[in-house]
Amino acid sequence: MKIKSMLLAVTLVSFSSASAAFDLGKFLEDRVKQELNKDKQTQPAPAQTTPPPASQSAAASPPPPNQKIDARQLGFALFGDYSLEEEIRIGRQISGNLLGAVPLVRDDKLQNYVNLVGNWVALQSGRQDLTWHFGVLDTEAINAFAAPGGYIFVTKGLYRLLNNEAELAGVLGHEIAHVTQKHHLKVLKQSSLIGALGQAASRKAKGSDQVVQNLIGNGAEIMVRGLDKNAEHEADRIGMVYAARAGYDPWGLPSVLQDMAALPAGDNRTSLLYKTHPHPADRLAALGEAVDGRLDAVRGKELAERFYRIR
Amino acid sequence: MKTFLIPAAALVLCVASATAWATPGTVLRDEKLYSQPSASASVTANVSRGASVEILAKQGGWLRVKAGNSTGWIRLLSVRAGAGGLGGTGVGDVVGAATTRSDPTRVVAVAGLRGLNDEDLKRAQFNADELARLDAMKVTAVQARSFARQSGLVAVKVAELPKPQPEQSSSPWGNN
Repeated sequence: MKIKSMLLAVTLVSFSSASAAFDLGKFLEDRVKQELNKDKQTQPAPAQTTPPPASQSAAASPPPPNQKIDARQLGFALFGDYSLEEEIRIGRQISGNLLGAVPLVRDDKLQNYVNLVGNWVALQSGRQDLTWHFGVLDTEAINAFAAPGGYIFVTKGLYRLLNNEAELAGVLGHEIAHVTQKHHLKVLKQSSLIGALGQAASRKAKGSDQVVQNLIGNGAEIMVRGLDKNAEHEADRIGMVYAARAGYDPWGLPSVLQDMAALPAGDNRTSLLYKTHPHPADRLAALGEAVDGRLDAVRGKELAERFYRIR
Repeated sequence: MKTFLIPAAALVLCVASATAWATPGTVLRDEKLYSQPSASASVTANVSRGASVEILAKQGGWLRVKAGNSTGWIRLLSVRAGAGGLGGTGVGDVVGAATTRSDPTRVVAVAGLRGLNDEDLKRAQFNADELARLDAMKVTAVQARSFARQSGLVAVKVAELPKPQPEQSSSPWGNN
């Protein structure tokens, strides 16, 4: 997979440098059309319910009758960084899908508390351009999710493991770091470069953004694919620092990792978590290398008294 | 010495009630045991990576552990709690559970209310009502700052942590 994307990248670079007059955008568009056609041969494309955009002129290979290419969708996938607006659109679509799989806990006090802690930690992240959203998901599975644009979710199962506000801040800090480091956007960019574009098979649901849905694949699948383990270790390091900068005891996140490590092996509540994250023992070891004595002088608050406990 | 004992005893009590320590653990890197939870305290013993310990208490970034005949404080991040040994990278049932497709019905059985598995996420349909509910719960930066102030939280400067030197790959996205 990596080799394929590298080959493509090398091909692109050599093409663009060989001829200044060469139209890179056109080349990429044709390349994506090839990918789409290839996919079409192996699986039937879903019926398009959205009206096709103004069709591209003079395509070398004619597009298939019901698979039109949106130029802006190409912009989404292939060029430069995603704009803030695109990042938020992607995040909303992923979040709406995730919430379609598991709803929010019906406890406004809990949701408000998590939003207050989360926003305070996010204020230390340097991304004031985002409106941050935090939600507790109604499942006993132990997990947390981040989507681009500042959407953060913690499961009720994970929340139950927490003992104080500093631990919540640490968990949220880890997820906030995924957003500030744009980890999921990088994955999207990689997968769209190798032709995952336009494969979404989901029906059109109310309020759903079909262009983004085509970009992210089925449902909230991107949350199952997970991230590179180095991205998880990076989010651990940054998340711990965000929580410490917010005035919390920096040992909240490591304490949660210890509690997860102490759970019996094969506990079903962690099966999805361990598909997408390194084992807590590995995360503790990696964090130990990075932290060593560097946070010895940091004194923060645990705030066990204020921690909101769920019934 | 007496002045130290009283808060330490209170702390042990407090921690023991908050979390279920006195669990087994494994040392993750060659480390020292200190007489107090501080790197400037005297060293009581050395422990090797892979050594088994018993975790007795927790204080901030430190764990009080018993390793063989020695007892002392060790950095929180130098130990893993639980019975899985060094875990993760090698073999073992935890990794097995992590990498093999689990039976979704078993997830639901443990979850009680509702489990969450990869098929649920792949099949998920956009839910505009739940997203609106999420939107309605958002708070402003002003509210968050006021909330922090209420319990004396103050933003402090903390330096970024360095990325540890990789053992094999230098690519941030390598090896997966």
